[in-house]
Amino acid sequence: MQLTGSEIIAECLLEQGVDTVFGYPGGAVLNIYDALYKYSDKITHILSAHEQGASHAADGYARTTGKCGVVIATSGPGATNLVTGIATAYMDSIPMVAITGNVSNDLLARDSFQEVDITGITMPITKHNFIVKDVNDLANVIRKAFRIAMSGRKGPVLIDIPKDVTGAKCEYTPEKPRQTENSLVSLKADFEAAAKAVNAAKRPLIYMGGGVISSDAEKELLAFAEKIDCPVATSIMGLGGFPASHRLYIGTIGMHGGYETGKATDNCDLIITAGARFSDRVAGDREKFGKEATIIQLDIDKAEINKNVKINYSLVGDLKDTLACLTEEVETAKHEEWTAQVAEWAEKSKVCETPQSEKYAHPYHIIDEVRKLTADDDIIVTDVGQHQMWVSQRYSFEKPRCWCTSGGLGTMGYGLGAAVGSAVAHPEKRVVLFTGDGSFHMNLNELATVRSYNLPVVIVVLNNTVLGMVRQWQKLFYGNRFSQTDPHRKTDFAAVAEAFGINGMRINNDSEAADVLKKAFESNEPVVIDCRISPDENVLPMIPPGKTVDDMITEME
Amino acid sequence: MNKEIIGLLVKNHPGVLLRVTSLFTRRGFNIDSLTVSPAGIEGYSRMTIRISGDDNQVEQFINQMLKIVDVKKAEVLPEDTSVAMELMLIKVSADSSKKNEIIAVTSSYHASLVNLGDHSLTFRASGTPSQIDKLVEELSGYGILEMARTGIAALENGDVCLNTK
Repeated sequence: MQLTGSEIIAECLLEQGVDTVFGYPGGAVLNIYDALYKYSDKITHILSAHEQGASHAADGYARTTGKCGVVIATSGPGATNLVTGIATAYMDSIPMVAITGNVSNDLLARDSFQEVDITGITMPITKHNFIVKDVNDLANVIRKAFRIAMSGRKGPVLIDIPKDVTGAKCEYTPEKPRQTENSLVSLKADFEAAAKAVNAAKRPLIYMGGGVISSDAEKELLAFAEKIDCPVATSIMGLGGFPASHRLYIGTIGMHGGYETGKATDNCDLIITAGARFSDRVAGDREKFGKEATIIQLDIDKAEINKNVKINYSLVGDLKDTLACLTEEVETAKHEEWTAQVAEWAEKSKVCETPQSEKYAHPYHIIDEVRKLTADDDIIVTDVGQHQMWVSQRYSFEKPRCWCTSGGLGTMGYGLGAAVGSAVAHPEKRVVLFTGDGSFHMNLNELATVRSYNLPVVIVVLNNTVLGMVRQWQKLFYGNRFSQTDPHRKTDFAAVAEAFGINGMRINNDSEAADVLKKAFESNEPVVIDCRISPDENVLPMIPPGKTVDDMITEME
Repeated sequence: MNKEIIGLLVKNHPGVLLRVTSLFTRRGFNIDSLTVSPAGIEGYSRMTIRISGDDNQVEQFINQMLKIVDVKKAEVLPEDTSVAMELMLIKVSADSSKKNEIIAVTSSYHASLVNLGDHSLTFRASGTPSQIDKLVEELSGYGILEMARTGIAALENGDVCLNTK
C-alpha cells in the first residue's frame, strides 16, 4: 500500500512492538506528529517538557522493560537536546532508537533554519546512525536501527529524516521483525579451559555488571554462583542482577564499594567477570586490580576483552548462554573458609554510620525508611552524586530492571526523566526517585510531565544545599577550597512542587521521616519530599581515584 | 611498538571514512598511513591502515573497528606473507652539477625521473614502505622540496582474500 514516510515510521514502530514513544514536536517533525495523531490509538506519545527529559524517559523505559526505548525530536536544537540522553544510554549500553527530523533535502547543507548535522554530532555516542534521504529506504532503515539497538551489546541508534521524506509517499509492505540472534562466539575448549581455572580456585570472586541485566541472565548467574559457592560483588550497573539478601552477595565494588568487596578483590585468586568492563570507578588501579587473581571475563563485546585489565580467559557471547555453559562445565564446590573470611571483612565494614541528629535527616535513614515502604519489584531511580552512591550502598535490590541510574556517563539531571519513563512503563509499580538538590535543579522541569500524566512518582530530594560530591573531593584533594560548590540557593522544593501542581512535603530530621514517607506513599499521587541533610555528610568508604583498598578512606574530619 | 598493516573491508556508505578515522582519535590509535580505494566487490571499499602499537593495541584496534556497523572485515595482513607497496612522488633540489649524481642514487631504487626542473628533479618511486623510507633518507641530503606518498596498498600472498578469510 502507498503510505507517507510518517505513516511508514508509525507502521514500522508497530512492527517492532512499540506502543509508547517519548518526544517533543517541532517544525521538522510536523508530518511525523500528524501521523502520530492518526495512530494515537496504537502508539502512546508522552510529551516531555524538554527533549533531554524525553531522551532520559526513553532510557528509563528501556532499562525497566528490556524493550527498546524510542524518542522523537525535531531538527536543530530538538536534536542537540537529545545528545546527553543518547550519550547516557550509550555509556550504559541501553537500547534506544532516536528519531530526529531534519530540514528538507533541498535545504540540507545550507545552514537552514534549525538545521544541524546530528548524525555527525552523534557518531561517537551511537552504535550507528542514519540519515534517510529517500523515502524508499525508510522502512528498512528503521528495521535495521531496531536490530542494531537490540543486538549484541545494546545501545542507541539515531535516524535523521529530512522533512520532505516524512511527507513523500511510497509503497510499504509490512514485515515481521527478524529475531536478533547473539551467537555464541567461544568454543567448547574455551569453556573447558575457563572451567579448569574455576575448579582450581580456592578464593573465587564474581564481579558482575550491567550485562547480567541486559541479557536477563540473573537466574544463570545465581545458579553459577551457588554451584561454585562464590561471593558476588557488583558494579553500580549490575544492582538487582543478584539478590542483595542472598548469602553470597557482598555488595558494590569500586570507589564507594564496601571494605569487604575491596578486600575480596585484593585477596581472591580468581575473578569471574560477568558483563562488566573494569571501568576506572571499579578498577581504580588497573595494574593492581585483582593482583593475585586469574581473571576470566564473560562479555558479549569482544572489544571489552583486555581493554582495561589483562584477561587470562575470555568467553565471548550472550551472558545467558555463556554463564549456562560455564555452569555446566564447572564442578560443584564449597569455599567455606573463603566465604567466612569475606563475611569477617563485611563485619568490619559496618562503620561509616553517623548518629542521629536533631538538625538533619541522615541519608541512610531516609533510604531505609523508603525500603520499608517499597516492594522488591518497585523501581528506584537516581540522579548523580552523593545521593546516588548512598542509594547504591544502602538500598537492597532483589530483582533486575528495578534500578535506573546513569552509571557510565554520570549524568546529573538524568533522574526525573528516567522516572517518568519507568512510571509510564509500569503503572502497576511504585517508582521512587532519589535525587540531590544539585541534580534536581538541572531538569526539574519534567515535574510538569509528571503532573500532566499523573505519574505517582515519589521524589525524594536529599537536599544538602551544596554540590556534595564535588565538595567532598574538594575536602579530600583540594584543601577545603570549596570553589563553586555552595550555590547559596534558597529553593523551596516543596513550594516548587506545589507550583507544578504536585504535593510538596518536608523531612527536617530522622524522626519525621517515617510518617512523612508513609503519607507520601499512601497518597498514590506524585509527591516531592524535600529532605534536609547535612552539607558535611560524606560518601564513605571511598577508594581515591587510581588507588586500591589499601588506600581506602573510612573516616573524614 | 611494532607496526602492523590492517586490511579493512567497508560498506561504501557516506560517512564510513569518518566513522573509521574518528575512532583513531577517540581510542588513541597511532596511524602511520591510510588508503581508501574500491575493493573490487560491488558496494565495498578497501581501507589499508598501518598502525603502531603493541599486540594488545592491535587487537583492540581490530575489535573496535569490527564494532562499526559498516566495517565487514578487519584483519592483520602479516608482513611476511603479504605484499605491501606504496607509490611516492618526490621533488629534490638539484643544481646541474648534482643532477647526474642524484639520478644515479635513485636508479638503484627503481625510481624513474618524471620531471626535470631548472633546479629540481621529480622522481616516481614505488616499493615497500621500508624501501621508500630508505630512498627518502638518501635523498634528504640533497634537499627535498616536496613529496607525496600514496600510503600503503597491501594484499595477502597466495589465494587468501580478505572477504573470504
